[in-house]
Amino acid sequence: MKLLIIEDERPLNQSMVEYLTAANYICEAVYTYKEALEKIEGYDYDCVILDIMLPGGSGMQLLQYLKKNRKSEAVIIISAKGALEDKIEGLQTGADDYLVKPFHLSELSVRVAAILRRKNYSGQPVIMAGDIEVDTNGKEVLVNSKPVALTLKEYQLLLFFIVNRNKVLSKNSIVEHLWGDDMDFVANHDFIYTHIKNLRKKIVAAGGNDCIRSVYGVGYKMQV
Amino acid sequence: MKLFAKYNRINIIATIATFIAGSVAFYFVLYYILIRQLDGTLKSEEQEIVEYVQSHNQLPDFENTRQQWITASEVQTPVKRSRHAHSITVFNKRENENEQVRQITFSIQVQDKLYNVTVNRSQAETEDLLQLIILVTLGVIGMILLVNYFINRKVISRLWQPFYNTIGRIKGYTIAVEKPLQLPNVPVDEIALLNDSLNQMTLHIYRDYHALKAFTENASHEMQTPLAVIRSKVELLLQDDTLTQENIGQLLAIENAASKLSRLHQSLLLLTKLENRQFIADEPVNLRHVILARTSEWQDLISSRNIKLAIECGDISKSFHQHLAEILVNNLLSNALRYTPGGGKIDIVLNGRYMQVANTAPGGALDEGKVFTRFYKAQNESEGTGLGLAIIKEICNLAGFSAMYTFENDMHIFTIYFGQ
Repeated sequence: MKLLIIEDERPLNQSMVEYLTAANYICEAVYTYKEALEKIEGYDYDCVILDIMLPGGSGMQLLQYLKKNRKSEAVIIISAKGALEDKIEGLQTGADDYLVKPFHLSELSVRVAAILRRKNYSGQPVIMAGDIEVDTNGKEVLVNSKPVALTLKEYQLLLFFIVNRNKVLSKNSIVEHLWGDDMDFVANHDFIYTHIKNLRKKIVAAGGNDCIRSVYGVGYKMQV
Repeated sequence: MKLFAKYNRINIIATIATFIAGSVAFYFVLYYILIRQLDGTLKSEEQEIVEYVQSHNQLPDFENTRQQWITASEVQTPVKRSRHAHSITVFNKRENENEQVRQITFSIQVQDKLYNVTVNRSQAETEDLLQLIILVTLGVIGMILLVNYFINRKVISRLWQPFYNTIGRIKGYTIAVEKPLQLPNVPVDEIALLNDSLNQMTLHIYRDYHALKAFTENASHEMQTPLAVIRSKVELLLQDDTLTQENIGQLLAIENAASKLSRLHQSLLLLTKLENRQFIADEPVNLRHVILARTSEWQDLISSRNIKLAIECGDISKSFHQHLAEILVNNLLSNALRYTPGGGKIDIVLNGRYMQVANTAPGGALDEGKVFTRFYKAQNESEGTGLGLAIIKEICNLAGFSAMYTFENDMHIFTIYFGQ
């Protein structure tokens, strides 16, 4: 899977490249409007991560270019503008998703994975991690080929872990992924412990490997 | 008092004073002239008598009329001669009133007798004339007042109409919604000057306002990117297996501070937009749905802390803004959740008149006058941005609601009244 990351803030761009490369994507980074235009004119990507405010032009113009030329790239806008009307404008112009800065890299990763699953009809909607198999079309989970019934939150949690496997996920990022950033008023995020405990119980009960472990002081990690 | 009424009052007083002063002066001048004329008549009468006596050597027969009569009496000594006539008051029996009479007295030698002759002339005519003049003056004053009154009624209100038009436009003007004022040109210098100045002024304000607005938004947005850098770098660092527990604690503190800063910016931006009236609360919003969506979302958190949640919601829709309604409910409930101790309770009531969120408050009452001000924080608090309640207040202002805080039975009670 090839990603084009268009973001003029170099440290942020590098962070995204580093995180997504580790998740087995091939990433190309560009920093200006002109570079970005050259890349999307000359090459095809599976997904474009697009900042709106770029030196030399607007990300919206790039998005319009992509849509006008019927390019198949999925587009995720990453923007500092978080107002509802900005999001609506971005999505109406043809973006597939809209992520407001500052975001968690794990959140970006899970959004990219979701979009690519939706876009590649030909590809497998089934994701595997160790002995866990998730059919994202039917929202079915198999552990050791045995179906496991999960609640909606547990399913979202599992998917988040699988997409960000082998990464340490902070409690903050898990809470924000599952409940949105409205929960940030809660100083203590220990209440997610119950969900994770239940998820682990269900996986173990189905004979699966207990692959989610807690990382002291930080959060959790799925090791496969 | 209207400017014109004030001007009018001065004008009328000045007019009346001038007329009275003028009339008084007129009266005295006229009186002086008439009396002189009268004295002239008396003197010529005296002259005639003297000439008659010189030629005939006897007193003439006096022809007395109602206006003029002459008396003569024999005396031993002549009157002390005064060339001037003088006025006396006599009682007129026929008309039963006192009357002013002008008289002149002189002595005259006829043969060997000495006579004092008095020529009298009634002043009644003179007084009638003066009375008439005063009446005419009063009439003129009255007419001037009457004419003034009608001019005010009809003409002045029409003359001032462009001024009231301008005032009407200014009253209805909100800078966040509209373009600069474009008041029409009128052919009255003062109003044209007023309109022109107002046009200029609103144009300047409009430009400054939009520059400031753009600056606030840009500044806020520009700060989100460095925050995104901080957050992403912390997240990458956390992947490092060799970190000590101490390192991790510090990294999480950095991450929390970055998150808080980002939230602070979003809240300030929202407040600015609310103040600028960039939202219009005119769509029907079902508040029950908004509340239930939030509480079910947070059910896990609520039950994990053993908080007793009581919801008593009617199916109420209000003319509001969907996004703002969500923010309002979110802020109210998150506040309640944050400050309710484990095992406490939260009561939510929604009816046609108000929406109320009450929660257990072990710390005592908050300062009623200050809870809704920005960055107000109770003593034992440090987590929030201090803007949540200020946002609630601004949203209420915009939607025409009012927000109230009370403290009863050891509970914080926040009530949003629909209607002022």
